[in-house]
Amino acid sequence: MYQLSDAQVEYILNDIRRNGVDMEDLQLNLLDHICCIIEHNLGDKDDFEGFYRQTIKQFYNRELREIEDETIQLLTFKNYYAMKRLMMASGIFSTLAFISGSLFKWMHWPGAGIMLVLGIVTFSLIFLPLMFALKTKEINGAQDKLITGLGFLLGMMHCMGILFKVQHWPGANILMFGGIIGLAFLFIPLYFFNGYRQPEKRFNTILTTIILIAVAGSQFTLMRVHKPQANEVRIQAEVQK
Amino acid sequence: MIFSTELVKGTLKTIVLKLLEDNTKMYGYEITQTVKEMTGERIQITEGALYPTLHALESEGLLTTETEYIGKRMRKYYSLSQKGKGATRERVNELADFMNTMNMLLNLEPKKA
Repeated sequence: MYQLSDAQVEYILNDIRRNGVDMEDLQLNLLDHICCIIEHNLGDKDDFEGFYRQTIKQFYNRELREIEDETIQLLTFKNYYAMKRLMMASGIFSTLAFISGSLFKWMHWPGAGIMLVLGIVTFSLIFLPLMFALKTKEINGAQDKLITGLGFLLGMMHCMGILFKVQHWPGANILMFGGIIGLAFLFIPLYFFNGYRQPEKRFNTILTTIILIAVAGSQFTLMRVHKPQANEVRIQAEVQK
Repeated sequence: MIFSTELVKGTLKTIVLKLLEDNTKMYGYEITQTVKEMTGERIQITEGALYPTLHALESEGLLTTETEYIGKRMRKYYSLSQKGKGATRERVNELADFMNTMNMLLNLEPKKA
């Protein structure tokens, strides 16, 4: 059985760290594993470094970091089903709270405000982030993930804007305008060109883009017609005279 | 013939849990070697699949760990927690059911009259 020196153990540990494995627990597990393989298979006169290089290559397809990525993914998604259930529950709750809140507000019944706040806050701060976390698991490629993330962020911003507007809180316009402008000039172009380049996604991308433009346009129009301009009010008043 | 990684991956957690039930405590390298020996080298667990699985099982609370120092390096031994013992039974039964269903689905056994 080959006897590894402390310097050789140190060499292997440094190499594992250099190759992007940051979790200490995993570093030590891999170190012991590699040491075991070397001790059991290397002859006393054999070349340590050559054998080590050969061995470590069997641990991965592209790079050693894969093991850490896989670990993180498994750890993050150990609660996958719980997250999915919470997402569904928060979605149903926020929809019900939003619908009844709107009805109460329209009828001037008490309790409308709290329902709307709860509904929109649950939707934008629980439902949307959970949906994003679960959705990214199905998406491959950093660019697609980034664009999806941007979309969700703008969606959350716009929803919070609507809440601020309904509750007459300051900053509503900034949030709503920010959301729509980001959607129209940043998200839609990125989403469209990214999806259009992939033949299997092209048709759906065009359809979704049309819908998104319609939504952004109508939201923008709604915001503009919501409050009449001062001169329009004056003109209307003069006409009435 | 060595079984493909895809086939082994779905059953890896069950394999690890069952081994720990039979052997009380084991470390990573020992697990890979035991599986290799028991299956006549037909199932070879890769390091890239084993360690993420061990970490996941530990964070699910199914495994407990203890460490031992061998010179400068540390060896981590895994064993079943109380929760893990129950989960092992469930998973082994589930896999046995699954194998029976696959037998039926793929017509691997002659149908009984």
